[in-house]
Amino acid sequence: MTTLEHVRSPEAYAGPRPLGVLAAQVRAEVLRYRRLPEYVVGVVVLPVILFAMFGLPNAEQTLPGGTSVVALLFVSFACYGIVSQALFTFGADLAEERQQGWLRRLRATPMPMSVYFGGKLALSLVWSLVTITGIALLAQLAGNAGFSPARLATTVGVLLLGTVCFSPMGSAIAYWARPRAATTIVNLVFLPLSFLSGFFFPLSQLPDVLQGIAPWLPTYHFGQLAWGAMAPADDISLFGVTTSGSTWLHVVVIVGWGVACTVLTALGYRRDLDRERA
Amino acid sequence: MHAIEAHGLRRTFGDVVAVDGIDLVVEPGEVVAMLGPNGAGKTTTIEMLLGMRTPTAGTVTVLGGEPTDRAVRARVGAMLQDTDAPGSLTAAEVVDLVGAYHPVRIPTALALERADLTEHAHKRVSQLSGGQRQRLSFAIAMVGDPDVLYLDEPTAALDVAARVELWEHVRAFAALGRTVVYSTHNLAEVKGTASRVVVIDRGRILADGAPEDVRRLVEGATIALTTDASATALGALPGLRSVEDPGGAVRAVVLHVTDPVPALRTLLASDAHVSALEVTEASLEDAFFALTGSAHADARTTQTAEEALR
Repeated sequence: MTTLEHVRSPEAYAGPRPLGVLAAQVRAEVLRYRRLPEYVVGVVVLPVILFAMFGLPNAEQTLPGGTSVVALLFVSFACYGIVSQALFTFGADLAEERQQGWLRRLRATPMPMSVYFGGKLALSLVWSLVTITGIALLAQLAGNAGFSPARLATTVGVLLLGTVCFSPMGSAIAYWARPRAATTIVNLVFLPLSFLSGFFFPLSQLPDVLQGIAPWLPTYHFGQLAWGAMAPADDISLFGVTTSGSTWLHVVVIVGWGVACTVLTALGYRRDLDRERA
Repeated sequence: MHAIEAHGLRRTFGDVVAVDGIDLVVEPGEVVAMLGPNGAGKTTTIEMLLGMRTPTAGTVTVLGGEPTDRAVRARVGAMLQDTDAPGSLTAAEVVDLVGAYHPVRIPTALALERADLTEHAHKRVSQLSGGQRQRLSFAIAMVGDPDVLYLDEPTAALDVAARVELWEHVRAFAALGRTVVYSTHNLAEVKGTASRVVVIDRGRILADGAPEDVRRLVEGATIALTTDASATALGALPGLRSVEDPGGAVRAVVLHVTDPVPALRTLLASDAHVSALEVTEASLEDAFFALTGSAHADARTTQTAEEALR
């Protein structure tokens, strides 16, 4: 390909690449959402508030294995926070952006779409960390959780893995649902997932039928993995969570779900692109 | 090597033919105005040149490559209609973000300055007026220091002062040796900016040439008057393009002429009765009607006749 010489403006300069692009995208996304109170309050802070209301009153109880009940409740509420954030950031908001001209406008720029999605994922990771930190601080300072640093670190790792693997579920909904329906669908998916995975109250309190469904849900395995990272098996079952399946099974289900939803998103994206150009 | 090369460009949407065989070769440094009424196919053409829409038939090469190629996109800037940037970011943040997408860019402050947005740099997009948003769109188009710049109806939401400013910036940018293609339905926006005018109507190129030539071709006036002059006398007026004549003795007629002065001189020198005289500069639509004289102008004719009778 022979190309015409680029006539540069005297003021023009080369930006840092390729990381500069991603950094700029993440920065813009974080800034943008920081200024949306409905996002910060509804998605980032709500799990912290719910934890303060329903988790903290259980402070001071310690299980035989040495784990505090508050530490396990931290895991429950953080899991809920992660799933809600992944679904709402990627589901409802992405669907809305698809509606607007901006996403289409960006196609006329040299930005690869991977940067756009990478930026959103990083945004979600940043806000996930804010939620996790908020709940953990409350649990430690007000609830005397007595976290084991190693277990806490592993748990946070599992939670962030959840953000990475469940975000594609949101984007798949954003790309396959009608934009106006996306928020409703996200709610319809999110609430049963949270209840049936035991994020709000122990699974053992649910009817048998529903308990039977639970192991088929990716979020159930996410919960299992996260509680398992925080406490030994005995403590978890005393807490009311029936453990089942190996750690590897949980990891495979979560990652597999993430991959499947990524493929769905990619197909939806292609469909969108073909439609737009068509 | 051409900046833009399009051959046999065609685009249909179902049964509707938006672009019907456009050939356009633009050399580096040319400033091309695409002039045409609304719905002529200007936006669709620009979208195809940008690689945002696949042509039904035909080929597009921009800067020697595919328009969808990332290396090509890095050197192309576009100001499009109806593209809302995220409302919670400031103007400067949006420009900075799009600048970061480009391998080579100009400083954000400079792009904002060229779009006269410096004083609104830290306002959020949601707080900008329609005209300011349009200027933001211009800043976004400029920030990648493009070699080829597309502007789709760039002055649509701007007031007169902002229009003048924008064209000044476009000229300054073109003076750097860049290629600019812009669309407009306003003949006045061709003068002084474009080095070449391509007239488009119903997806086809009607005329392509220097602004003076095209202006001469499409410029004209409409004379509405009440007269008893015979159809033959009216038909013989100098510079006449067409007549709308309901027939009868004393009746309202509309004359489409290239230049109103010789026609009026002749008419007034005759002893025909002339009253309710009104001369207006022909709109672009009238000019297209004169150029094509074809079917879709029917509605227009009726309308003009009604206007004349009022």
